[in-house]
Amino acid sequence: MAELSPSIAQCAVVATAFKVLLFPAYKSTDFEVHRNWLALTNSLPTKEWYYEKTSEWTLDYPPFFAYFEWTMSQFARLADPEMLKVYNLEYDSWQTVYFQRATVILTELVLVYALHLFVQSAPPSLRRPSHAAALSILLSPGLLIIDHIHFQYNGFLYGLLILSLVLARKKSTTLVSGLLFAALLCLKHIYLYLAPAYFVFLLRAYCLGPKSIFHIQFLNAIKLGTGIIVVFGAAFGPFAYWQQIPQLLSRLFPFSRGLCHAYWAPNVWAMYSFTDRVLIYLAPRLGLPVNQEAINSVTRGLVGDTSFAVLPEITARMTFISTLFFQIIPLIKLFFDPSWETFIGAVTLCGYASFLFGWHVHEKAILLVIIPFSLIALRDRRYLGAFRPLAVAGHVSLFPLLFTAAEFPIKTVYTIFWLVMFLLAFDRLAPASTRSRIFLLDRFSFLYIAVSIPLIVYCSLLHQVIFGKSMEFLPLMFMSSYAAVGVVGSWVGFLVVYFTS
Amino acid sequence: MSSPHKPRRKPKKQLGAEGAASSATPNFPLEAFLWPARGFVSQWEILPLILMAVGLFRWAAGLWGYSGFQNPPMHGDYEAQRHWMEITIGLPISQWYFHDLEWWGLDYPPLTAYHSWLLGKIGSLIDPAWFALRSSRGIEDPALKVFMRATVIVSEYFIYIPAAVIFVRRFTRLQGINHWHAWIALTAILMQPGTILIDHVHFQYNTVMLGFVLACMSSIQAGRYMWCSVFFVMALGFKQMALYYAPAIFAFLLGVCIFPRINLARFLGIATVTAVSFAVLILPLYLGALYDSYRGIDARPELFGHKAPLPLFTEHSFRLDHNAWYYPILQQTAQLIHRVFPFARGLFEDKVANFWCTLNILIKLRKYPSELLQRASLLLTLTAITPPCFVIFVKPKKELLPLALATTAWAFFLFSFQVHEKSVLLPLMPMTMLLTGKNGLSDNIRSWVGFANLLGVWTMFPLLQRVDLRIPYYVLSLLWAYLLGLPPTSFAAYKTGWSTWTGCAMSTMHLLFYAFMAVWHVVEATLSPPATKPDLWVVANVGVGSIGFGICYLWCLWTLVAESKLLSFLGTQPKKAKSL
Repeated sequence: MAELSPSIAQCAVVATAFKVLLFPAYKSTDFEVHRNWLALTNSLPTKEWYYEKTSEWTLDYPPFFAYFEWTMSQFARLADPEMLKVYNLEYDSWQTVYFQRATVILTELVLVYALHLFVQSAPPSLRRPSHAAALSILLSPGLLIIDHIHFQYNGFLYGLLILSLVLARKKSTTLVSGLLFAALLCLKHIYLYLAPAYFVFLLRAYCLGPKSIFHIQFLNAIKLGTGIIVVFGAAFGPFAYWQQIPQLLSRLFPFSRGLCHAYWAPNVWAMYSFTDRVLIYLAPRLGLPVNQEAINSVTRGLVGDTSFAVLPEITARMTFISTLFFQIIPLIKLFFDPSWETFIGAVTLCGYASFLFGWHVHEKAILLVIIPFSLIALRDRRYLGAFRPLAVAGHVSLFPLLFTAAEFPIKTVYTIFWLVMFLLAFDRLAPASTRSRIFLLDRFSFLYIAVSIPLIVYCSLLHQVIFGKSMEFLPLMFMSSYAAVGVVGSWVGFLVVYFTS
Repeated sequence: MSSPHKPRRKPKKQLGAEGAASSATPNFPLEAFLWPARGFVSQWEILPLILMAVGLFRWAAGLWGYSGFQNPPMHGDYEAQRHWMEITIGLPISQWYFHDLEWWGLDYPPLTAYHSWLLGKIGSLIDPAWFALRSSRGIEDPALKVFMRATVIVSEYFIYIPAAVIFVRRFTRLQGINHWHAWIALTAILMQPGTILIDHVHFQYNTVMLGFVLACMSSIQAGRYMWCSVFFVMALGFKQMALYYAPAIFAFLLGVCIFPRINLARFLGIATVTAVSFAVLILPLYLGALYDSYRGIDARPELFGHKAPLPLFTEHSFRLDHNAWYYPILQQTAQLIHRVFPFARGLFEDKVANFWCTLNILIKLRKYPSELLQRASLLLTLTAITPPCFVIFVKPKKELLPLALATTAWAFFLFSFQVHEKSVLLPLMPMTMLLTGKNGLSDNIRSWVGFANLLGVWTMFPLLQRVDLRIPYYVLSLLWAYLLGLPPTSFAAYKTGWSTWTGCAMSTMHLLFYAFMAVWHVVEATLSPPATKPDLWVVANVGVGSIGFGICYLWCLWTLVAESKLLSFLGTQPKKAKSL
């Protein structure tokens, strides 16, 4: 298989070597979060997991993730039993770091396997582009920054997602795909954002007849229904039995948080906040009323409670409705054309809608868009045209996650390395489209990528030289507004491609 | 296709071009990684990618601790380099080589001092506390670590890496080797575990010196012999260890002035340029010393105006006029030589995998007078460097240069005195360059280059584990072995070559060494040495290492002789060393 060189396994080996070298790198509070979960699942009875609050980082993932932590904690005992004590806050001995970092690398093997299956299941003519896409996910700077430096288990979780998406390719494994996704929901509930696409796809492709929607396949519907009930029962059953569901839900869905997350994920609301800031200066000239309280609020824009000076407030209900609205639009097409490619497109667009319009979106959630999109980005050049600004914006928007000097070269050089390598490779591999391309979109994506260079230079170097420590929000705001333009642009571009192909 | 825009490249044509260039399948993982770059990829795409990838590994490795980290009172190499920045920016130039020699006194040639001065000036702009005179000793600011790591990388990207890229391109072009092989060899060279571990993890600036030597080598490939001497003087001026290469470079340059016909103009040109480069190199030190004495600044203020005898020719130094205008120059010269060449120290310092340290296991050398040992060492070194120097002198062919340099450097490493574990980087550099030569990526050469490199890092393991650098050691050396398809990750390179006696012997011997290294690691990690012999593991490492290096010396010498075809006119056509 010389044409598929380097193989996924070879890339995984070299990437692992790099990730092991990153063991001593900066780690965020998420490291302590997961250590705490290891400790509390190991040392407390299951009944108390969702009530424990010694650490401020309480368990706020669904039960399967807690079981996952419990399983790992059985091995953690061998590495360093001290990390399993709930009161041992901020404990980070070398053994603890090695152990936790190693679990991230090992559980990522699920991703490696899923990508392998993805390439194997592709039709022979698409095997080369699929292989390139698989490598781009495996070596994704997003996963490197979030999992192997910042610390989380996204490689494992997205591995399960891809596995489930790949299994949906064949009729015979659609059921497994659906159940796997249900299990994924019980691991991390952020994937609820993608659930509408799954719902429509499974309904149309599995429960209803291929010819007519009135030809209901009852056996399939029963299999799927029972399966999902079993999966959810295994996850939530014990807690339902102990009548802890309200407590559990309050942990999973903390609605008290604000509209924008600390660093302003690059979504519509970031652009909205940016506009509001600009309007503060313009409002007197335009004769608009300005909310003085909001201007003086110290925390505005930086911590949870965003409040707007000129523009109307945004409520959780508004974000919820707009998210659902923009998710339903692509789902209509999916309902009438339940092919695998459309399904992946719909998953991607559900990711887009939730990222762009969701409440309290974290910039890490951009992976919900990038990873499913990568699977189909090489279908033809029009897809690639929409993917390119997303690849740039999505990864650049992750930069503020790492702010330490030692990790600066890693995040920037690695991202540039990845962008150069894969955008060049994709450029060669993506076939020409049968439809005419949209002139403006192409030029937009080129201009957009070009702007990123001076912007990164300004935000990471020049700003400090010019302003020193003051005006710290400025680079963050520029970055997130820039990235927001890219994400929104690529979303619009992809919507066009999705509906015209 | 209604689109007015055509795809930039047609995929079908690509496949055709690829099919023509393809051998079949990649032989080892590094080939697989560069597989998509065959044939049609521009160097402007592939070179930045390679340089970014190797840079990422360097920086990531640098996140680990450095030598002397949290290890008072003396700390280590990191503190030495930082301290030199501190004294060069904080003291008048005439005091550089005299200042408090007990605390990492400057003992490298002047170019290192100037380099430290420059880095110290830049660092002081960021944070003056890092290099504040005296108060900054042993400072462990994490931001300083980032700065220091950055200085190593930047120095390497300014000197070693351009030199390596240019050398690889010239050398492969000269031998008609295609670009794709050149990229593979370049990546392998830049991922050498030894240089990354010593420079970017343990901390030093060896690649600057090695880079100058590489620049010198590539000037030779281009036929620019005067530039070659300039670069070589710079290498020597940065680190005296470059002397390991000096005999071979000298023999080669002399050779090109004599064969095929005597070229006196070239000889005089080279001689003049060398002398002038030395003068320019040392000039700032001399001028500074003169200016300081004019300003009344004494090189040794701690003596309060009393003059101490010079460290060289001490018994004659009372005849000197301490007030003569030239006295500061003599004083600096004597001190420089005394500091840079510490003859006074013993035959070997720590446990190092060379001949003397191994001999010391069998017979205690301490009972012999040190002068006898020094003479024996000189004699043995001369004996060992004579054959390669003779070959390169008689046959000054450009393609033989890496082999000749490797052989002489091995000779120095094995037999000269005052050798440090880290000096193994010197023979390894030109030997690794063999990857760029003809059949450089063949199983045979790859297995020898790999053997030397992996053995080399293995002998540095005791040095690295002392500062808890096991993990980067394992990761970087196993990664390199993996990329080149070498044991312990793959035995593919040893599948062929069992058909001849030499091939059999070579493969068996290599595999025995690899097996020993593997067993040694297991033993070292699990068992503690017997109480009576606390150094047993290190001694075993050193002993086996030196035997392996001796074999590398012999192989380089044998290959050099065979490649030079020197013996062919004697009628004894060597059997073309089946292993070649």
